[in-house]
Amino acid sequence: MRAIIIDDERLARAELRKLLQDFPEVEVIDEAANAEEGITKIEAQNPDLIFLDIQMPGRTGFDMLSSLEKSPNVIFTTAYDEYALKAFEVNALDYLLKPVEPKRLADAIQKLHFIETKEPIIGNGENINKSLLTENDQVFVKDGERCWFVKLSDIRLFESVGNYAKVFFGNNKPLILKSLNALEERLDEKMFFRANRKHIVNLRMIEKIEPYFNGGLLLELKGGEKIEVSRRQTVKFKEMMSL
Amino acid sequence: MTNANSRYWLCQVAGWGVVALAILYFAHAYKSPLSTNVILGRVLVVFVTGILITHTLRSFLKWRGWMFQSIEKVVPKLLAAVIVTSVLFSLIVLVAFELLGLQGPQGTKVTFLFKLLGSVFDNTLLIFPWVVFYYFYHFIEKNRKQEMDTLQLEALIKELELKTIKAHINPHFIFNSLNSIRALIDENPSRARTAITELSNILRSSMQVDKAETVTFEKELNIVKDYLALENMRFEDRLKVEYEIDEDTLDQQVPPMMLQTLVENAIKHGISKHIRGGTIKIISDFKNHYHELAVQNTGNLNGGLNAEGFGLSSTQNRLGLLYGDKASFEIKQVAPSIVEARVLIPVQMN
Repeated sequence: MRAIIIDDERLARAELRKLLQDFPEVEVIDEAANAEEGITKIEAQNPDLIFLDIQMPGRTGFDMLSSLEKSPNVIFTTAYDEYALKAFEVNALDYLLKPVEPKRLADAIQKLHFIETKEPIIGNGENINKSLLTENDQVFVKDGERCWFVKLSDIRLFESVGNYAKVFFGNNKPLILKSLNALEERLDEKMFFRANRKHIVNLRMIEKIEPYFNGGLLLELKGGEKIEVSRRQTVKFKEMMSL
Repeated sequence: MTNANSRYWLCQVAGWGVVALAILYFAHAYKSPLSTNVILGRVLVVFVTGILITHTLRSFLKWRGWMFQSIEKVVPKLLAAVIVTSVLFSLIVLVAFELLGLQGPQGTKVTFLFKLLGSVFDNTLLIFPWVVFYYFYHFIEKNRKQEMDTLQLEALIKELELKTIKAHINPHFIFNSLNSIRALIDENPSRARTAITELSNILRSSMQVDKAETVTFEKELNIVKDYLALENMRFEDRLKVEYEIDEDTLDQQVPPMMLQTLVENAIKHGISKHIRGGTIKIISDFKNHYHELAVQNTGNLNGGLNAEGFGLSSTQNRLGLLYGDKASFEIKQVAPSIVEARVLIPVQMN
């Protein structure tokens, strides 16, 4: 696993690097001292894992994650268990409190192994940014005080709301600052389908398909949302499904 | 309670004593036909009965809890009680006169009922003021007690507020420092050792402040120096510190951990948010009759003052609690990209 440590304090980075010497499976390929540097280094080197401090000068760790196209695996490091971390209780990857206990670090890395063997991250190659997001890629979603890491395969629906998109997964539907068109470009069309001007649906999350007015279709998703497929897109939809 | 009780008896004896003296005076002034012995006997009867009957009335008032009822409700009842008491008073006195042979020469000519009516009228004029005085006294006493309670409550609140303010030391700082120290143990063991001493000093003083309302500025400054040394260890070349201390101010008394809070605040907003860091400058000086304490940091006030939270509002509160309106606190932009937090404390002479 190739990892980058992002923390504004040199000593904190040094300490973590030292602790990680006991884990040969984790290779620290770089360090960054703030969010800007972090973004550059993540985009250039595409690490499998980042250790991320939350309080940093300029932009916080959260801000940094929300501006990434897709998020690598993240282990948060912070000195004090603040409210911010409670937001992660539902689907936290993990977080470590500084000074880091070696046992907790071992557990966190163990947990990552488990995820890796179950769903190996594909496409570790160069130039990954330009390629499509795969179903195993995760995005970091921040809506006010709450944050989520969401796997694309868990998202049922994107709905356009002005300049924002509403992301439907589980019982949540936070907003992200991305247009539907921009999203469509980045999504794998074998998985995500543009049903109409306002909606992109996850094809694997469709529960029922019914005929609708004007030769359109009505899709019912697993979360109960009913989405109309425009006439033009219905043709495309039928083509894809008949394969 | 015993104090209030003895005051009650003192008032009783004094009040009825005045009545007794008045009777004696009038008897003398109007050349009463009664013999001196009869007059003295009558006065004694009135004195003793008066005290006994009003004491009974008081017990009754206490027993029925009339002291705590609203005025509109209690006034008619009280008037009735005054009349009943006066009638009883008169009856007892007249019967006592008869039994003790203290009736006057005209006693045979006037009917008992007539005497009773006259006496009731007289006694009402005694009992009514007694009740008014009694109520008035309790009214004042109650008000005073209420005021005392409010004052005590306010003092308690102040004390509690001070305690919570003092207890505030940022846990983030403690754990970050510990983390840095752990890294230093390999890299620079002697710096790690001094860092542990510095951290201990800060923790100790944050626990000891409960014992003192103020400390000498010298003591406070030492804590701040330890604190900044630790922050310097964390931020390394991102943090520069300058001191401008008038040595005579070292003996001045200051609220503990207040300068520390201001410095912590300056680091939080002036240094830790900026990638390149900045400078912290601490100034202590005499300005007119004030001890001026100022902390300057690199940065800009973005009008977000109220959002800066606990540190600043608590400083304002503490100064208010300790010095009233004699101390002042302000935070402002003193130069392009220099923010200054400044406290003025009245100088104490000793």
